[in-house]
Amino acid sequence: MAAGLRAVQRWGLAAATPSLAFTRSAFVVGKQNNAQPNWLGVGLAFGTSAALWALLVKQHNEDVMEYERRKQVRGHKCTGCS
Amino acid sequence: MAFLPDESRALPPPPLLNKGSVWLGFVGWMSALMDNAFNRRPILRAGIHRQILLASLGYFVGYQLVKRAEYMHAKVDRELFEYIRHHPLDFQSPTEKKRIGQLLEDFYPIR
Repeated sequence: MAAGLRAVQRWGLAAATPSLAFTRSAFVVGKQNNAQPNWLGVGLAFGTSAALWALLVKQHNEDVMEYERRKQVRGHKCTGCS
Repeated sequence: MAFLPDESRALPPPPLLNKGSVWLGFVGWMSALMDNAFNRRPILRAGIHRQILLASLGYFVGYQLVKRAEYMHAKVDRELFEYIRHHPLDFQSPTEKKRIGQLLEDFYPIR
């Protein structure tokens, strides 16, 4: 991968800095500061996770109740279910 | 067509712990770990909030997808059984079940 990039640079189609078309590295990012936590992002992420789990559990319980209700209404007409 | 039609609610819902949810939760967690790797952060120790968020998102989406898959399978089964019910002549078994002893040849041991 490095030899190919060097070859492409020699042909003048790519600069040494990965700023033109032939960027082949996965590690090109902007300046990040990972030392200071982005507390807003952390709070949003945890809050969204908690909301997702609550929604999932609530949905599951509603599904179970709706299934039981419909089973009662149907009165076991089908013979395949338990 | 809706993602989950109303009649899908007549099916038993998948358990909270199901294969689709676990797998997609794992996929979400892996994508958080890959994001750590691509941004040159410690893979397991960084961005715990991100790992939890993506895993939870995958778990939730997995549950909905499993529900839809079960509905599609139940729908096909229903149509299949209806077809069998409407065409009994095509699905008759022969007059009586043959025993395996009748199908095999007699055994004459060579000693």
